[in-house]
Amino acid sequence: MNPNPGLRSSTTRLALAYGALSALLISALLGAVFLLTRGVLQREIDSRVSAEVESFTDVFESDGIQGVTDTLDKRTDSWGRLGAVYLLADSSLNPLAGNLTAWPKDVRCVPNGRVDFRIVAIVNDETVSHPVEARCEHLAGQYWLLVGTDTNDRERTLHRFAVATAWGVGLTSLLVLALGWRYSRRTSRRVRAFAATCDSIVRGDLTRRLTVSSAQDEFDALSTTVNAMLDRLERQTDTLRTTLGSIAHDLRTPLYRLRMRLEESLLDPKGPETQELVAPAMAELDRVQRTLSTLLEIARAESGAGSAMQQQVDLAHVAREMYELYAPGLQERDIHTRLEVTDSAMVNGQRQLLAQLLANLLENALKYVPAGCSVLMDVHVEHSSIVLMVADTGPGIAAADRERALQPFVRLHDTRSDSTGSGLGLSLVAAIARLHGATLTLEDNHPGLRVVCRFPSSDGRVG
Amino acid sequence: MHLLAIEDDAEAAAFLAKGLRESGYTVDLATDGRDGLFQATEEKYDLLIVDRQLPHLDGLSIVQLLRNNGNHTPVLVLSALGSVDERIEGLRAGGDDYLTKPFAFGELIARIEALLRRGQATEVSTRLRVADLEMDLLGRTVTREGRRLDLTQKEYQLLEFLMRRTGQVVTRTMLLENVWDLHFDPQTNVIDVHMSRLRSVVDRGFNTPLIHTVRGAGYILRDES
Repeated sequence: MNPNPGLRSSTTRLALAYGALSALLISALLGAVFLLTRGVLQREIDSRVSAEVESFTDVFESDGIQGVTDTLDKRTDSWGRLGAVYLLADSSLNPLAGNLTAWPKDVRCVPNGRVDFRIVAIVNDETVSHPVEARCEHLAGQYWLLVGTDTNDRERTLHRFAVATAWGVGLTSLLVLALGWRYSRRTSRRVRAFAATCDSIVRGDLTRRLTVSSAQDEFDALSTTVNAMLDRLERQTDTLRTTLGSIAHDLRTPLYRLRMRLEESLLDPKGPETQELVAPAMAELDRVQRTLSTLLEIARAESGAGSAMQQQVDLAHVAREMYELYAPGLQERDIHTRLEVTDSAMVNGQRQLLAQLLANLLENALKYVPAGCSVLMDVHVEHSSIVLMVADTGPGIAAADRERALQPFVRLHDTRSDSTGSGLGLSLVAAIARLHGATLTLEDNHPGLRVVCRFPSSDGRVG
Repeated sequence: MHLLAIEDDAEAAAFLAKGLRESGYTVDLATDGRDGLFQATEEKYDLLIVDRQLPHLDGLSIVQLLRNNGNHTPVLVLSALGSVDERIEGLRAGGDDYLTKPFAFGELIARIEALLRRGQATEVSTRLRVADLEMDLLGRTVTREGRRLDLTQKEYQLLEFLMRRTGQVVTRTMLLENVWDLHFDPQTNVIDVHMSRLRSVVDRGFNTPLIHTVRGAGYILRDES
């Protein structure tokens, strides 16, 4: 499991997407309000200016230029409205009336034209430059009239509005992201806790349960259901364990009595043939007993009724030990042996079962690999898995038979004369591998058999 | 030597008692867990043989109860439950040894002997000596007739195990369990291969062999001269 999933976590992605979406929506909303407000303000000024220009035109038509000058003087004295700018000029643009000292330089005279220019104003004893929007009118083809508004306040208001909008969008997005991140963290923490618990359950600790909080949310509903399922699983496993125990007891007790009787008859022989009769019977009995043990071991491993797989075991170390145990026997049969093992290869599991797995593979080599061939045992780390390989250059197993070889009681070699094999060795190997979450494959070693077992590495595992 | 066997199967108990008495032990029998615990607490035994699956009180609980009460009588657990982790469970509960039914009687006797002689070291020493074979436990060296023997680490451990039990039968499973710490039945003669290697170092070229094979049981290291 990745302890820091970052962008790979679906909840994080969801939180980011929601963050982006809400930022977009808020920007659109505030942007629209901004544009609308600016439009309304603009239209208001335009209509006021137009109304004034019209009223001046009316005054000019009724009272002539003197009327306009009087009205303008009156207006400029009382400042008809805030930020109003008027100028009446003659045909050579010399000011006649109004509150501007001169005709703005860069304004071209266009009848009924809209113009923008800047004026110098004095606010709180400071000289500042203000923008003005105005309309130009030609009165009787002789006088120029300029009616406009100092838009400084409007621009400042709009600017403030824009800044506030930007802050609003930014802060909201941040808040959404923060909330999303918190929610995502909480969710992924719970999911990770679920995964860790399930992981240890899979590894055999059936007593673990998912935590149910008081929130009664979907997670709790899920936990409750999963826990009910686990209760059932635990009960079934208990039943199975008891059943396997009963089977062991009921089958081994008669074998035990039988063996004791046979041993007793050997101690107290009724005739010279007793030894001859009893010894093979005892050997046969021991074989039955071994087969039974192996079957029970397979059943336990397959059902997970065995102990928890919580220990960390160094597979490389176990491999070295088992090689040391079996190599002399192989060498005695003139089989070359080689060991290639990495320093350490930690897996979750049980040392005794892993040793049993290796022993079965090496005993198979002892039984089936002819003299002059070689056996290689290899443990190495590959990405996040640990690979155990036992390869020989013996007769191998035909591709068609490899799948079958892992099933119980299948003996591929003609072993009717051979009493050593129970036909369960590879089945037990497969069961132990499965119990450890490992995949087992039989491959062609060109020539010979190569058994490859891939274990998940236990390094860096959480919980 | 006074033993108590707790075994509910009457026939098996009778065989067990008979065999043990023939081997020179005094044997008491208990047929269920409660009686067994009671007897084990009341009397002083040298060794307890406890079956796991018993009526009223199971074998491992008996061992745990005894151990919790400070009773450290050696316990040999006998059981039809023989999977690897069941054996380990038995040893963890406080059993000193674990034997799966059915077993060879020789195996049982060898294990009983080993348990009875355990902790009876005659003298505290850093050297083990059998005839002219000498092991220096500090220097981890072995000499015979004063000549240094060249042993691998496993051969040294094997020899140490045998020398610490001089005169006792040591079975193959005992060797596998104690020297290799492995709890399964090998289907091939792995132990014999290691023993023959050890013998070739320890006995070859010397007049009197010290390591002997005991038929149907295992090995014994002793000075027969």
